[in-house]
Amino acid sequence: MLMLLALHLVAAALAPALVHRWGRWAFLPLAVAPASAFGWALGYADTVREGRAVVEAYPWVPELGIELALRVTTLSWLLVLLVGGIGALVLVYCVRYFDADEPGLGRFAAVFVGFAGAMLGVVLADDLLLLYVCWELTSVFSYLLIAHHPEQQASRRSANQALLVTTLGGLVMLVGFVMLGQHAGTYRWSEIAARPPPPGGYLGIAVVLILVGALSKSAIFPTSFWLPAAMAAPTPVSAYLHAAAMVKAGVYLVALLAPVYAEVGPWRPVIYVTGIVTVLAGGWAALRQVDLKLLLAYGTVSQLGLLVVLVGAGTPDAALAGVAMLVGHALFKAALFLVVGIVDRRAGTRDLTVLSGLWRRMPLVCATAVLAAASMAGVTPLLGFVAKEAILGAFRGDPPLLAALLLGAVLTTAYSARFVRGAFAGRPPPREATPTRPVETVLLAPAALLAVAGLVLGVLAGPVGETLAGYPRLFGSIAHPLTFVPASGLVLGLSALAQVGGLLLFALRTPVGAVQARLRAPFDGDTAYQVLSRGFDRFAVALTGATQRGSLPQYLGVILFALVLVLGGALLRGPWPDRIGVSGNPLQAVVGVVLGVAAVLTVRARSRLTAVILAGVTGYCTAVLFVLHGAPDLALAQFLAETVTIVIFVLVLRRLPARFSVRPLRRSRWTRLALGVAVGAVVTAMAVAATGARRAPPVSAEFPGPALSFGYGRNVVNVTLVDIRAWDTMGEIAVLVVAATGVASLIFQRRRGPDRPRRDDLPPPPGAERVWLRAGPTLRTRRRSIVFEVVVRLIFHTVVLFSIFLLFSGHNAPGGGFVGGLVAGLALAVRYLAGGRHELDQAAPVDAGMLLGVGLFVSVGTGLLAMSTGGEVLRSSLLEPELPLVGELHLVTSIFFDIGVYLVVVGLVLDILRSLGAEVDRQIEVEDEPGTGLRTDRPAGPARQAAAGAGAPDAPGGTDSESAGTDSESAGTDSGVAGTEGRR
Amino acid sequence: MSYLVPLPVVVPLFGAALALVLGRRPIAQRAISVTALVVTLAVAVLLLWRAHWHGPLVVHIGGWRAPLGIVLVADQLAALMLVVSAAVTLCVLLYSIGEEERADPGEHTPVVIYHPTYLVMTSGVTNAFLAGDLFSLFVGFEVLLAASYVLLTIGGTEERIRAGTTYVVVGLVSSLIFLTAIGLVYASTGTLNLAQMVGRLDALSADLRLALHGVLLLAFAIKAAVFPLAAWLPDSYPTAPAPVTAVFAGLLTKIGIYAIIRTETLLFPDGRAADLLLVLALLTMLVGILGAVAQSDIKRLLSFTLVSHIGYLLFGVALTSGPGLAAAIFYVVHHITVQTTLFLAAGLVERRAGSTNLDRIGGLARVAPLLGVLFLVPALNLSGVPPFSGFLGKLGLLQAGVSAGGVLPWLVVVAGTLTSLLTLYATTKVWSLAFWRPPRLVDPEAPARLPRLMVGATTVLVLLGVGLTVAAGPLFGVSTEAADDLRQRVPYVRAVFPGGPP
Repeated sequence: MLMLLALHLVAAALAPALVHRWGRWAFLPLAVAPASAFGWALGYADTVREGRAVVEAYPWVPELGIELALRVTTLSWLLVLLVGGIGALVLVYCVRYFDADEPGLGRFAAVFVGFAGAMLGVVLADDLLLLYVCWELTSVFSYLLIAHHPEQQASRRSANQALLVTTLGGLVMLVGFVMLGQHAGTYRWSEIAARPPPPGGYLGIAVVLILVGALSKSAIFPTSFWLPAAMAAPTPVSAYLHAAAMVKAGVYLVALLAPVYAEVGPWRPVIYVTGIVTVLAGGWAALRQVDLKLLLAYGTVSQLGLLVVLVGAGTPDAALAGVAMLVGHALFKAALFLVVGIVDRRAGTRDLTVLSGLWRRMPLVCATAVLAAASMAGVTPLLGFVAKEAILGAFRGDPPLLAALLLGAVLTTAYSARFVRGAFAGRPPPREATPTRPVETVLLAPAALLAVAGLVLGVLAGPVGETLAGYPRLFGSIAHPLTFVPASGLVLGLSALAQVGGLLLFALRTPVGAVQARLRAPFDGDTAYQVLSRGFDRFAVALTGATQRGSLPQYLGVILFALVLVLGGALLRGPWPDRIGVSGNPLQAVVGVVLGVAAVLTVRARSRLTAVILAGVTGYCTAVLFVLHGAPDLALAQFLAETVTIVIFVLVLRRLPARFSVRPLRRSRWTRLALGVAVGAVVTAMAVAATGARRAPPVSAEFPGPALSFGYGRNVVNVTLVDIRAWDTMGEIAVLVVAATGVASLIFQRRRGPDRPRRDDLPPPPGAERVWLRAGPTLRTRRRSIVFEVVVRLIFHTVVLFSIFLLFSGHNAPGGGFVGGLVAGLALAVRYLAGGRHELDQAAPVDAGMLLGVGLFVSVGTGLLAMSTGGEVLRSSLLEPELPLVGELHLVTSIFFDIGVYLVVVGLVLDILRSLGAEVDRQIEVEDEPGTGLRTDRPAGPARQAAAGAGAPDAPGGTDSESAGTDSESAGTDSGVAGTEGRR
Repeated sequence: MSYLVPLPVVVPLFGAALALVLGRRPIAQRAISVTALVVTLAVAVLLLWRAHWHGPLVVHIGGWRAPLGIVLVADQLAALMLVVSAAVTLCVLLYSIGEEERADPGEHTPVVIYHPTYLVMTSGVTNAFLAGDLFSLFVGFEVLLAASYVLLTIGGTEERIRAGTTYVVVGLVSSLIFLTAIGLVYASTGTLNLAQMVGRLDALSADLRLALHGVLLLAFAIKAAVFPLAAWLPDSYPTAPAPVTAVFAGLLTKIGIYAIIRTETLLFPDGRAADLLLVLALLTMLVGILGAVAQSDIKRLLSFTLVSHIGYLLFGVALTSGPGLAAAIFYVVHHITVQTTLFLAAGLVERRAGSTNLDRIGGLARVAPLLGVLFLVPALNLSGVPPFSGFLGKLGLLQAGVSAGGVLPWLVVVAGTLTSLLTLYATTKVWSLAFWRPPRLVDPEAPARLPRLMVGATTVLVLLGVGLTVAAGPLFGVSTEAADDLRQRVPYVRAVFPGGPP
């Protein structure tokens, strides 16, 4: 059985290539796939008649209880025959149905075969989850088939509608399956059915959920609307969809479950109500159609309602009638659709008010149609009649239901007559017969075959009933076997009544039409769907407008509010320590107060420069706190980092307005203030609570010993950085590298014009000879300070040497690569500040990117080298080489790691000086005076201001249309809040 | 074998250093990047194989025994994440190389910094997965975030700078909260080693533990883009270059989820946040997908589906049951793959049609049929259409939710089902407009032939996504075992401290 599915898959995959090669004739080889399913099923006819099952199973995802378990019993066997047989015939029909130059035929063929395979999967599956998989696949494939002409809007809409309605039903059904499966502990239907369902309220819910899926798939009220809309598909698709596939899946599922769940509370009410409404509404609507295809479509809706009632009734006779009707409907409906396709293609229209006299022009087609329509109307001895007899017999004991079904039969006869007359009859003389093209045998044969099959099987009603008896026997013993000879007078009378009533209704079509015109439902499913989906779209836009305002301050506010809520909530529960440790050093308190004041002033500052400097003060205060706590190393690093930061900030501020822009923030001011205070308060309280709770000794307490014995260094901080936690340092220098290159890339990107690799951009120094003070020929005189330049020039090398000393002494004394690098970087910064960008190039004639890369290379390489010698990554060892003259050296390999750190830090500072410093200088010069670049300072001109405005990173943190998509709301006041400003 | 563990971090970082040094030689840069990621992928596969059959691998960095030094732990979860992330980053790298080759001379992506930054980001991602130490996890986050700041603003257009502002500031605030959390945890337990923390946290009072739990969860939830902390994501991701958005969408939020999974199971298994997480999962799913429905740009729409589906992952974690966690892990793997693929496909759409704005493009199914397949398959996969992996993941979550019973899990089951349908609604909208409508291209001059490498890389990812269905059996097996290990906690602790924690 799996081979059959695989065959379909392969055929679908090959289809585009085949169509490309052979054109529409490729449908013939493709028909082999469904035909082989048909043949396979015929081969198992005996097995099925004996009531045995054909089983195959392969594992897939055992944890989910989903496996490729296939099982064929009477019911599924019958459907395999229908799916395979009709699928093959429809594919043959396609050969002539499509024009040779039909666009997208390869895709169509592939999807169609895939669809047939999926449908086959639905009926073969024993595992409910596998059934769902194939079920959804039929939805997706039909989606692609319905939109065969996707460029027409109606086509797309119908496809979407069909997909969404059936998927919604499918998902609901899936939940029902999962409920069943989780309770039963298995998803194999044969096992679930074999055991009595575990009792519980869940069962009713699960059954209703599954029915929702089944009924929506079969276009039962109230989801009937998608099926007529799906008529946008090419006619072969409609034929297959209506006769054997897709809509039959729902009927199949109801039939599959009925033997076990028909007695569950809500089952019958749901089935009967929705089924009967569908029977009547569908039949009534069919009477109104002028498009032959729509007429048949509404007819299908009506018949599907009937089928659901039959197979869902849960009695043996109804079930037998159901399977007979299933076959009968498949045969006559497929035939009729194929006929409509022929009429449509060969006469050019399928409007029954336009068609005229076709019975003369295509008599064989007409005969086929009459035969099929007679079966639909229930004329003896056709299969439709057999089924109708069985139906009336089965519901004899239930008068209200019987009456409703009889009414349905009346409607069926009426629209059958309407179909035949509308399609083939001649019109009064002034109307010419519709011109037609000849009908090829290949086009007609499938339809004729199906119609004749309806006759043959009707005559063979007895054997057919015997073969299919395995299914109805699941409900009990059969009282009335199938026969085309009327069994009882009552049933025969009712049947005749239906025929006469139907013909009468058809004869009275003019007054009936008038009634129908007045008797329109106030709304139909299609309108409801449109209204719902449009309202839903509006709701989505409104909600998104509210949550996605595009305002950074709002986003931050939410985050901080959450922080207050989480911490505050937890703190209120009272995890307070018994004692709160207070530092004994009063100086710390003093520094703390200064720090706090500086922080508050930073927030209040209106000038950017002031704010930067005040923020720096908080940093320096922190450094002082480190000193007071006995951590000179940390303090040193903090001082230097803070200084470099201020330098960078100042460089940036050159391009920004001097003051923070004033924006209408008053409104939310107090909220923001309260939030800020609250965050500070909860974090502080939490810090107190956390420190007070510690019982275990910290791991760092054990560092000093191993730092000396295993890390070979006395400076625990440095050993921690380059050895114990070197892994984290490695990560952090990667951050530095990335940050530096990122800043540089942004600044150097700014320039318009031809693209060049940016690192080539070191400007050629004006004047080839080396000069001691580069600022001389390059800098504006008013900016120069000769004393500063000379002093800096004199001490530069000393400072750099000192930085190297810090680097190497760091393992045992304060210092290290990070501190050393910062010192060297500061030296470069001062050099730049004093002498300008050309002086910087002279001081450091290297590419900053190269420096960063080499630094990272050295550090990471040290780690890798340790691995290559058999140790863990970043393991350090003690080297004690004997050098001539110098004597024995005491060298820890982690120093190489530290050298890498040093290089990265120097590279970082250099890169930032190059980009935020030198490159920005250059841009300012170019803007001020294109050409010379040597002019006296002057206040910012208009050009410069414009540039500053464009480049300023305090552009609104979020803006209207762009950041909020379709949301127009967000253009409100909030989005006016600046990113930078909002934080303060 | 344990020498393999640090390689997924060290190799990309070393590659980044080389790529920086060779900044002027684009071909060498590309060769280095590709080699580094291929090696990473190979190592990751070995690690997964090893972790699955022989238990977690642990390496003590620099030979410093835990808890003094840093440990890297490659258990099944970490190794699985490594494999997926390495595969995805490799494909995206190839895609971007394809893009570079055909870039217009006018708007050249700055290759010089792209490769090193991309490799650094990869090493941050792998570092976060392997970290056995809370601070190392933070460093991993920092590395990948810093790199992502650079990648997001690459090219420096005004739009990107503006989006970058939101992204960077939110990123910094979340890092600050994470750092605060680390300080608090260290203050109360005196250790940063996760395995050692297990016992020490258990010894704290339940209320203090809840507070620590809350801060960590908050920090991770921002990174993972959980509602209501997710608004930054759709505002920033779509502006970046296609491959960057793709890799962000695939990986970065999932690292937040990974951290949540790790901490919820290892550090705070008492499930006190479970109900809160369920509510957040529900809101994230629904608000996210409604956002997607409201969009008219493919990239923005996909960003919202990204947020929405984070809800599924959270759902699995919040259920705290083995099957729930296993399904969440499987779903992470699926979602990394498929979301990345979709963004790559959106990049191809942009290239072919000149825009991703649904109001301005159409007819791509006819103009570029292969592109249609490359979009449709992952779109259906994302929408949970069977038999694709998205369906299997959702099925696992549904089963776990139904088994859990109770009002909240049931509500989330309903919301999850609805979200699945709405995802389909949103993706078919894209399909209908961009692919099925009569053709209209913003840039009719656009070359009909898409760069082969870009298409190839996308195809590989599409196939990888489909392959998840075929390999779902073994993959779910690994996820289930990983989930069991996580819930037991003991395997992790014993791997780090074979003799029991000090």
